[in-house]
Amino acid sequence: MKTIRASWVAAGLGAMVLATSPDAGADLARFDLAGRLYTKWLYRNNDSQGVLSYGNPFWPDDIAGDNGVGTEFELQVFGRVSPRVQAYARLQSRFGEMWQDWWESGERKYGGEVNTSGDSLGMNRASYIKLRGTWVRASIPFAQGWTNSVTVGSSDLGMFNPWTIGKVRYIDRDNGKGVFVAGVVGGGIVSYDLAAIALPKLYVGPWWSTGIGDPSLTRPFYSQDWAYGARVVAAPDVGTFTLVSTLTNDVEVDRTDPDAVGSPYGSCVDELGNPIAGCSWDHAVDYYSRYLNSVTTLEAQVEPLDWLSANLLAGVSVGRLDPRLTANGVADNQGVSPVVYKDTTDVAVRVRAEAADPFGVGLSLRAESFYIGPEWNSIFGARREADVLLTDGLIEGGQLPTLNLANEFVDFDEPFVESCIGWYGGTLIADFASGPVDLSLEGTYIGYATNRQNRDVDKVYPDFLHSDGYTDVDLYDYANSTDRGRDPRSVYRRNQDRRTGIGVLRAKVAFDALQGLDVAYKGKVIFDKDYRSHTTEDDDYTGLITTQRLAVGLGVIPGLRVEVGGQMDWWREDRRKGTLEQGYGNDRTWKGKGFAGLSWEYEGLRFRYYFEYLYKEQVREREPDQTWKVFRSKASLEVAW
Amino acid sequence: MRGAGGWVGVLVGLAWAVPDAAADTVASWKDPTRDDDGPGTYQYPTDPAYKPGSFDLTSFEVGTRGGEVVFRVGFRAKVEDPWDSKAWQGNGFSLQFVQVYLDRDHQAGSGFCEGLPGLNVRFRPESCWEKVVLISPQGKARLQAEVSQKAGALRPGVVIPKVTRVKGKTIEAVVDAQDLGGVPGRGWGWQVVVQSNEGYPDARDLLTRKVNEYAGPHRFGGGSDWDCDPHVIDVLVAPGVGGDDEVKAQHEALRFRCDPNKPEASPLVELPMVYP
Repeated sequence: MKTIRASWVAAGLGAMVLATSPDAGADLARFDLAGRLYTKWLYRNNDSQGVLSYGNPFWPDDIAGDNGVGTEFELQVFGRVSPRVQAYARLQSRFGEMWQDWWESGERKYGGEVNTSGDSLGMNRASYIKLRGTWVRASIPFAQGWTNSVTVGSSDLGMFNPWTIGKVRYIDRDNGKGVFVAGVVGGGIVSYDLAAIALPKLYVGPWWSTGIGDPSLTRPFYSQDWAYGARVVAAPDVGTFTLVSTLTNDVEVDRTDPDAVGSPYGSCVDELGNPIAGCSWDHAVDYYSRYLNSVTTLEAQVEPLDWLSANLLAGVSVGRLDPRLTANGVADNQGVSPVVYKDTTDVAVRVRAEAADPFGVGLSLRAESFYIGPEWNSIFGARREADVLLTDGLIEGGQLPTLNLANEFVDFDEPFVESCIGWYGGTLIADFASGPVDLSLEGTYIGYATNRQNRDVDKVYPDFLHSDGYTDVDLYDYANSTDRGRDPRSVYRRNQDRRTGIGVLRAKVAFDALQGLDVAYKGKVIFDKDYRSHTTEDDDYTGLITTQRLAVGLGVIPGLRVEVGGQMDWWREDRRKGTLEQGYGNDRTWKGKGFAGLSWEYEGLRFRYYFEYLYKEQVREREPDQTWKVFRSKASLEVAW
Repeated sequence: MRGAGGWVGVLVGLAWAVPDAAADTVASWKDPTRDDDGPGTYQYPTDPAYKPGSFDLTSFEVGTRGGEVVFRVGFRAKVEDPWDSKAWQGNGFSLQFVQVYLDRDHQAGSGFCEGLPGLNVRFRPESCWEKVVLISPQGKARLQAEVSQKAGALRPGVVIPKVTRVKGKTIEAVVDAQDLGGVPGRGWGWQVVVQSNEGYPDARDLLTRKVNEYAGPHRFGGGSDWDCDPHVIDVLVAPGVGGDDEVKAQHEALRFRCDPNKPEASPLVELPMVYP
């Protein structure tokens, strides 16, 4: 019996092997797996705990803090369904579980007491695996000479531009989902993209939502909120021409419709029990647009000579807001709102020319002129990790034409972006490159189309509560409890008559030493003048901001590079902040920073380390002086396979 | 403003006082425009960062300056930096990745006959190479690490430039002549392979972007999903004057055949060298 049984098992296994081997091979060939492990250490000499310097500024989250170490895992699965159909899924663990959590955080409180046995019922600081993105892509040859693909699912929305629908942040890269059609016509001369994108319910629209959290809505309706986009690119020999047109449409249900849940007219009778004229049920509800934003840009890039190029971008932005369905975020949320509380229409124009070493001596020139209307807004435009202007700007992370900037979910060493709504002016940059030397000098003038007296920042224009003082991105706090200056989104002020000049000098010299030695310098001067109210000179702001940074980088051995350096800031700000009633004070800020970094690439392992000591002294005329002595560091270890 | 004017004067003065010493041209070639389609079927990735002409090689020049060799690679479109390479110790551009292969002796049986990992190409037996110069937006440390990890036996032949920078439509790279085994001579053969810089490459690919059957946001299309197609968008073809016949010659040189039953075992295309 035993023998018989063994024979059967052997025969069965053999048959299975014979039957399944080819298919198993085929199945494996149709799968492509990619894994990644990322660990981050974040430390600072304070007592906040978490693994993210700047978390959600509105709701306290459970991952933001300055001290901690955490790991995340990512698994990407690519599928080759058939030659014309592909599929993708990304599974990723939630970030934020610190190593000290083990598997429970102990944060959940029952009856006010900390649960020291852990909070297994909650998901706080749990590294649960979440489905972050999926797509199915099919190539459909529906016409001769056309190549087309249809993607259903996730996209980073990179097909448009920062002015219209912007590429989403890296951390959000698979969160946007929709239906996307892309194709090429005429052998590549013309290409196009069409998209219908599910609107993110928690950041696009008034109150940073498509209704949730809006006090005027009792039952926010978000499942039919979409953005639509179209891009056409024509690239004949004379240049490249790109037309992008987008529309975001947040709809809400007409709650007066008797068919709507919660309608006050659901019974179609009035308070006295009499029928309401014209009220009837049709088992369907009507919709209104709560907020519409349409942005269209046309961009032309021409390169008439090998060394000469020119670029023109012109656009129009239209915003339509239904006050019946949108509470006033300016009036009711302390002026913190991503939209102007009224219908808006405005234009933007940017002209850029670049001459690359026209004299053959290593000197190149870049020039740009720009105008971005004071009521322009790109509610679904790029929120960070993009830049629409040449200038280094007031803060150096980039300028974007939206009030919906995202300077959260970043660490202390990542740059901030600023809104350039209302900016006009020009930039001229001279670059000189010869042998081991690279020099660059920028001069920028910024005027402000937002200059106005008695602007209504109480009910219409959001001022983000804090409009005064140079923004300190080294020590930023959202609630501005430590006097960090202007909010980067604050482009409107009650009384403003402002102009700014920026000068930047960059120099870099490379030497042949070990694996390469380079010395880099950046010096920046900002002269910022705002006459503010025309009724008095006592509030006139004058800011002189200077920054100097020197860094030395050295390749020690193949794959290992170290960098050390320092930065000094001195800000002289006369009548920096205050009120007409209480007066303004002359403030001075001095900052010194020393830093060291290391990057190491070894056999697929990537390690980064950055450390800095920051000293800041703020001497204030009308308030007590402040001092900071901050040590902080960040390290990351990444492997992918 | 007076200060700014002064600095402009300093820059202009520097430009004239410390001119970018012109290199003595050793060799130069033209390449046809609109042949940035590999074997004639390749399409760009669909993300708008990959602007038309970004991978269309139009010229290649080799010069010497003192003990240095200067390479200038020209493209149809302005070389841009959409991914802010300075933030990752890069060289001022993001998209392109050029590999310049050198055959110093034009002898069969000499040099390396495989292309670097990720290209899926070989070189003709009489045109195998001794050195390859990597003109990449990636910083030196990343390049060194990738070469160390993935180049294997080809590693001794890899040269990383001292300086790589952009000037309009041209990428310029400078290497020491001794790293190439001497000053380039007239008998040397050259091949310029245009690829795209992939910061998150496949485990075996040396910073190259894949060519698939159909284009994706960050994948070229028109090839194969298997590694039997050359992941090469544009190459230099003799006689190097930019004629229409060179388009055909390129398409012919890069034409690939994938065995549907054993695609990974399909023969790789063999690239020619161009000799002045």
